[in-house]
Amino acid sequence: MSFADWLRADRLPHIWCSGCSNGTILNCTLAAVEAEGWDPDRTVFVSGIGCSSRAPGYISTDSLHTTHGRALAFATGVKLADPSLNVVVFTGDGDLAAIGGNHFIHACRRNIDLTVVCMNNLIYGMTGGQGSPTTPIGALSTTTPYGASEPAFDLVALAVAAGANHVARWTAYHVRELERAVQTGLETPGLSFIEVRAGCPTNYGRKNRLREVTDLAEYFRTKSMLKAKFDRLVAEGRPVPSDAIVVGEFVRRSNPAMGVVP
Amino acid sequence: MKLVIDENRCKGCNLCTLVCPYRIFRPGTRANRKGVLVPELDRPERCTNCRLQGLYGRTLCGVCQLTCPDQAIGWVRERPYEPAKIEVEY
Repeated sequence: MSFADWLRADRLPHIWCSGCSNGTILNCTLAAVEAEGWDPDRTVFVSGIGCSSRAPGYISTDSLHTTHGRALAFATGVKLADPSLNVVVFTGDGDLAAIGGNHFIHACRRNIDLTVVCMNNLIYGMTGGQGSPTTPIGALSTTTPYGASEPAFDLVALAVAAGANHVARWTAYHVRELERAVQTGLETPGLSFIEVRAGCPTNYGRKNRLREVTDLAEYFRTKSMLKAKFDRLVAEGRPVPSDAIVVGEFVRRSNPAMGVVP
Repeated sequence: MKLVIDENRCKGCNLCTLVCPYRIFRPGTRANRKGVLVPELDRPERCTNCRLQGLYGRTLCGVCQLTCPDQAIGWVRERPYEPAKIEVEY
């Protein structure tokens, strides 16, 4: 059995654009769930609104497609109603950081036993490529035609500060590492947050000189930097590239969690 | 096992041509019924998973399948199994 058995074959091909990383992240998450050996009847996938939030519609388990930004609030309800259920939340950067920002920090604070996979494509992809809170400075988008001028959210730092038990960041290029990180998150009691840098060739890449899908993958490969190397460079006082994507596991701790079956 | 691309699902993003360590996938040149340039397979019998999955009893490598955003890459069982002449380049 492989992760492909979790997909609803009658719903495929999906609506995501050619080269959208969301499909890759869906594969990696399902592979981790499959490796964990969870029962499909006891697993729930929850999502909000956005491109990323179409994902549970292609999975054969029970799922909730909820209102914008409120995926974590609904997932909290599911988990607390029946703590024996396994709950995974798919969300995007606009869903999690912009509209659902408060739900996110309070879910981290309460440390509910959820696994949150954030497909961060740095833009509002579904509505036409508007700038989101994670659009980096200088990036072009529909609403920032001269380059974004506001500092971007660092979702990983936010989750660490708010008290999540497991926080990691990978890109859609690092499929095996991402699968392992999600699996660690599934095993960790308490909230585990995995930020995945995803490529949006249609709305982000087209405006930022990453038109080809392979250019985006190459960008992730060359710009990502392991956390150990980043820490070493900082400790030695050497310059760190400003556009580096720091990847790796940021924190894993065992603070008291909510919604765990004793 | 035999490596196959589902032409109905593939959207022609060519990510598989980038990630395969054996460079089995080549960018497609001919549009299919949907107008998608589906990648072509270059001697797919070199694929590790095709050769050794039966021996190890688990998926080996499989990076193309994980990476494919359209869930188009998979393996089908060959019946009867036809041992092809395999040349592995190092």
